[in-house]
Amino acid sequence: MKRKVIRNSPPAPKRDSIDSLIIANAQALGLTLDPSWEASVKFNLQLILRHAALVDDFSLPDDAEPAEIFHA
Amino acid sequence: MLDVPATDLDFSTATDIVAAVASGHSTALSIVEAALARIRERDPVLNSFTAVTEQRALLRAEAVDATRARGEALGPLAGVPFAVKNLFDVSGLPTLAGSKINRDMPPATRDAALIERLEAAGAVLVGALNMGEYAYDFTGENIHDGASRNPHDHERMSGGSSGGSGAAVGGGLVPLALGSDTNGSIRVPSSLCGIFGLKPTFGRLTRARTFPFVASLDHLGPFARTARDLALAYDAMQGFDAEDPTCASRPVEPVAPVLEQGAHGLRVAVAAGYFKCNSGETCYAIDRVSAALGANRDIEIPEAQRARSAAFIITASEGASLHLNRLRARALDFDPAVRDRLIAGAMTPASLVVKAQKFRRWYRDQVAKLFDEVDAIIAPATPCTAPLIGQQTFMFGDTELPVRANLGLYTQPISFIGLPVVAVPVPLVPLPIGVQIIAAPWREDIALRLAHALEVKGVVAAMPPAP
Repeated sequence: MKRKVIRNSPPAPKRDSIDSLIIANAQALGLTLDPSWEASVKFNLQLILRHAALVDDFSLPDDAEPAEIFHA
Repeated sequence: MLDVPATDLDFSTATDIVAAVASGHSTALSIVEAALARIRERDPVLNSFTAVTEQRALLRAEAVDATRARGEALGPLAGVPFAVKNLFDVSGLPTLAGSKINRDMPPATRDAALIERLEAAGAVLVGALNMGEYAYDFTGENIHDGASRNPHDHERMSGGSSGGSGAAVGGGLVPLALGSDTNGSIRVPSSLCGIFGLKPTFGRLTRARTFPFVASLDHLGPFARTARDLALAYDAMQGFDAEDPTCASRPVEPVAPVLEQGAHGLRVAVAAGYFKCNSGETCYAIDRVSAALGANRDIEIPEAQRARSAAFIITASEGASLHLNRLRARALDFDPAVRDRLIAGAMTPASLVVKAQKFRRWYRDQVAKLFDEVDAIIAPATPCTAPLIGQQTFMFGDTELPVRANLGLYTQPISFIGLPVVAVPVPLVPLPIGVQIIAAPWREDIALRLAHALEVKGVVAAMPPAP
């Protein structure tokens, strides 16, 4: 007779590249991430990366100057 | 001496108060006492104040009255009560910046530069105001201090992050408040609370002794219930300050004396494309304002969507950099919604942040060219009227968007390049909504003149909350 497997917790979600990026970055930056925060951090990072992709997609000349010290 | 009853001063403007004090119809002390009484009475509901500096305010008001009694000249804001977002240093108080963590900081030993300048003009500080944690917010909600509430509907958001500033001015507690605007935090609460707000040109007003958020995007500015009051406060706060490295070395350019020039001779266009109104309220507001200003042409602000994206990632990255040590040491003491945005911001690839700063310069140059053709551009301030407190999403056309990240979608592409903007309130029923009047760098005078002209025509107004 086949034994029924009873799990104490739900199966771990499959990790994707963003999950790996978050884990590696947290380690590199010395940040301790509670597992319960990971979904929210992932949502926010994906949002940032979607915005970043739009900026990355824009062609600028090599001599374009950044505006960190900004003058209106 | 005649004293104006406190109840008559509820929605008085700063201009009214200055005139009443100067003429002797009222004393600064009675005006400040009335403001303190309103705060005691109404703020348990509005939740706009986190500290009331009562003793200091009473002493200051007495000093204003003593000045008048000696026959000496009064400042241009004599007797005007005001309050500041709690990221401004107030001597004797910890500078909370909406956080739990900063409550452990020692009290500030000196006021923020703009408080000093307003008090030098005779204004009277009455307290510090609620705000979104570390200014990373468009809602006015705060997990530590509770949400500041919209004066027109207490179940709704005040807008953020200067939510207490919007609620205190819109609710009639004070005629003047200061806030900060990194991506829209003056203009969003102005819109939702139905008041006037000025985000000056980047570098115009000193940020000395305020708690930062995003160094390359942070601006400070006033909230009021008329354009003239904005101008009075703005004029008193202008001027170079070596203690803020971003403060521009420009002469003081007073605006109050030129307000009456109004819209005469000014070319105004309506922002099209990305800024096209997307709800009944925003379209009505833009139609009313554009008709009143004779703005009969549309203008495209190039790459506005990309500009918003660039502002978004610079904010995420610089904000995270500011708080990295706190995220390491005290992550559990943050509002989780702010913490998780900041952690994600810390992980933004640096190469893309640099690209965003390069794009910023390109975009600034493109938008600058538009001001060869027009003097001002109008655009919606917020995509909707005040959402309910706790509401997570809103409809933008056919798209459902998260509230927290998107209430500033019309404001971000403008502050990204530091343009001066006045948010003006269109008094819709049941809830007001704001319109941005955007001018070229250093032309706050144009935006304020147009705001005043709209007020004179009765198109925009800060209305008292319904009883």
